[in-house]
Amino acid sequence: MRLTDATVVIRPRSQWEAMDLGIRLARRHAGLLMASWAIITLPLLGLLSALLWSYPSIAVLIFWLLKPAYERLPLYILSQALFGHTPSLSASLRALPGLLKPQLLASLTWRRLSMTRSFDLPVLQLEGLAGQARSQRLVVLGQKGTAGATWLTLVGVHVEMALLFGLFALLYLMLPMQVEIDWSWESLINPDSHQWLWLEHLSNLLYGLLLVIWGPVYAACGFTLYLNRRSELEAWDIELVLRRLRQRVTGSAYALLLLAGLLLSQWPAPALADDMPVQCQPEQLAADHPDAPRLQLQHLDSDSARYAIAGLLAEPPFEHTEQVTRWRLGDPQELDEERIKAWAERLKALFDWWERSSGLALVVESLLWGLCLGLLVWLAWRYRQWLQAFGSRLRLPRRSPAEVPPSQLFGLEVSPQSLPQDIPGAVLALWTEQPRAALSLLYRALLSHLLHERQLPLKASHTEGEVLALVQRQQHEPLSQFCQQLTTHWLQLAYGHRLPPADSCQALCAQWRQLFTTEPRP
Amino acid sequence: MSEHTAEPTPSHDDTAPAVTAVPPAASAATPASAPSSQRQRASQLAQALRQELHKALIGQQAVVEDVLTALLAGGHVLIEGVPGLGKTLLVRALARCFNGEFARIQFTPDLMPSDVTGHAVYDQASEQFKLRKGPVFTHLLLADEINRAPAKTQAALLEVMQERQVTLEGRPLAVPQPFMVLATQNPIEQEGTYPLPEAELDRFMLKLRMDYPAAEEELNLVRQVTRSAKADMLEVNPLRSLLQPRDLLALQKIASDLPLDEQVLDYAVRLARSTRSWPGLALGAGPRASIALVRGGRARALLRGGDFVIPDDIKGCALAVLRHRVRLAPELDIEGLSVDQVLSQLLDQVAAPRL
Repeated sequence: MRLTDATVVIRPRSQWEAMDLGIRLARRHAGLLMASWAIITLPLLGLLSALLWSYPSIAVLIFWLLKPAYERLPLYILSQALFGHTPSLSASLRALPGLLKPQLLASLTWRRLSMTRSFDLPVLQLEGLAGQARSQRLVVLGQKGTAGATWLTLVGVHVEMALLFGLFALLYLMLPMQVEIDWSWESLINPDSHQWLWLEHLSNLLYGLLLVIWGPVYAACGFTLYLNRRSELEAWDIELVLRRLRQRVTGSAYALLLLAGLLLSQWPAPALADDMPVQCQPEQLAADHPDAPRLQLQHLDSDSARYAIAGLLAEPPFEHTEQVTRWRLGDPQELDEERIKAWAERLKALFDWWERSSGLALVVESLLWGLCLGLLVWLAWRYRQWLQAFGSRLRLPRRSPAEVPPSQLFGLEVSPQSLPQDIPGAVLALWTEQPRAALSLLYRALLSHLLHERQLPLKASHTEGEVLALVQRQQHEPLSQFCQQLTTHWLQLAYGHRLPPADSCQALCAQWRQLFTTEPRP
Repeated sequence: MSEHTAEPTPSHDDTAPAVTAVPPAASAATPASAPSSQRQRASQLAQALRQELHKALIGQQAVVEDVLTALLAGGHVLIEGVPGLGKTLLVRALARCFNGEFARIQFTPDLMPSDVTGHAVYDQASEQFKLRKGPVFTHLLLADEINRAPAKTQAALLEVMQERQVTLEGRPLAVPQPFMVLATQNPIEQEGTYPLPEAELDRFMLKLRMDYPAAEEELNLVRQVTRSAKADMLEVNPLRSLLQPRDLLALQKIASDLPLDEQVLDYAVRLARSTRSWPGLALGAGPRASIALVRGGRARALLRGGDFVIPDDIKGCALAVLRHRVRLAPELDIEGLSVDQVLSQLLDQVAAPRL
């Protein structure tokens, strides 16, 4: 391989540019590449189809699996053509058996699905590496070349699909209209009809044809990616510059060297020895001589030498000592028995003391409980408003109004004790003097009766109208009628400031007697 | 027993005027002659109005009641309800019943303030600017889907709602009286809406929730609507127009003159004030709430046919008055409690008036 003979400009390129170069390369040798590819693959596809006529899918699968084998020939052609020795078609075909030999099984089986197939092939084929050496080399090369090769494979898959669909469409467009105006797709798709088979074989053929176009391009792109990586690693471009430089200056270099030699011969002798004049004393010369007795009497045996060497190696330039501090679990053995015993004794003493001073424990306990209760009381006090408003939603036990009826309603005293024994009598007595007080007393008595006898859940927030509605819900006709009358009169008096008619008082008192005297008051 | 009414009444007769018994703080001195009969006629009119409205809007008794309350109290109403419950129908029926003008603005995201209030246009013939009044100059204004318009357009209503006037080109122009805004909003679609600011909300006297009608009412409704000539709504043409805008102003005057006891006033104010310190509410109602409670109470008393306000009137409209003026505490909001639930708890705990 002589770099100066390369037919491409060798310089560091980006991966995409390298792939571009591959396409240009494939285009330049398109005829040779495609012809050789077609000569190998198309007969093979024909053979496979003939053998597996009833199983076209398996035929195309095998054809697809064999793809790495076909790619070796384009790589061979390109590698020769790169340095100007483009082989002829027959020569390259003759070289094929030799190319197929190395590691064919691996390529077709476990390396078949490798995304960097095109990039790895030159290592195998051109460098002839195998096993450990190959994988090491791939690691070195793959540090920067893998991404491009992977993208190349991905793009390749899509290009193949696009070409396949395109060829199908082209075929369909080529059908004369008279032959088939309306293609009956159903009959094609129908697996029972035998038309299905030839269509599959047709698609296999189309696949084979499109590989004739794309296969060499793919191999060429992988090859240029590889070339690019190597020229980067081995600085081929710099080497080329240096070579060119050498070619240019070779002629004049000898004259220049001669001139320099002549000039340097006039140079004064080095005066280094002037500073420290060394007198070659005969004694010293004799002492430093290898045959001197001082050197001969030394007994340096291999052990001491090894020891000295080990000592040297243990020192800084050869030995790098670093101190690392990190946390780790304690060693269980470190707790010695003594300390455990001491701890146990101390604990035991503590418990003993605690048992002896039970009075203190009681005090502490009561203090703690007191604190707890105090906290609860404080919390209840702190949130009393909240509890008042939403206590019902928390389902706290509530005193029902029936159990402890309020003693005041609407600002009126309604407990039975606060009322006179004979209510109608008291009302009639008050009526002439203080009609308002009289009516108020009657209304109070009614409320008290409703609260205590009828167990009506009256609250301070109930208005007179709501009380009336509650009474009417009791379905006690005379009582609700009486309530209606009394409430009307009471409202008139309290909020309208109008006195009820004089005879209404008698009527109300009479009704009261009629309603309530039969029931004994508690 | 408090000695609140020390003044003796001249007569015990129910039909006689009882003006002297009215405490001085409750109402201005009304002419002694026949306010009671006037009130009775006013009540009858109001109840007839309610009857007419019920003809148009089947079901929704509470909503009709509340809308009439706001009408008599001179307040504005914000109605919240899903589409198709007859919000527009209610407003049209209302306008028809009192023979008033009715305008409708469909609020959209690109509606401008001048589309609501009006603007000056250059008249080429007379070579001067002429004022073009917007739809706001009417008696009943339906602001449909008010929360679809951005805040600046919503703010165009602020002045007219509070002051009953519109300032155009620097000139304040009064809107016809009575004036009432009925705004509607949809509670479910929140995408692309602009929530009403507090200042705007506070200007609405009542916020009503319109719910689906009961089964029986819906049956009745469907029967009637399908019998009508129009495609899918009830007609308001057969409704009688009962009163003129002038009469409505008189009704409002009568309502505002209804006597109100100090205790009832105190109850209203206590209700509004309790929202400010209530633990379940982050934001309480302002003084406008107390005012609205009292005005609403008076209007309800008139609708009820009463001669004075009782605590039930206040309590009846408390939910609608307070609902949009308070904000729920975040923890209750997370718990899924609604404002109405918290407010009913509040109403359940505030003591009714004491005498």
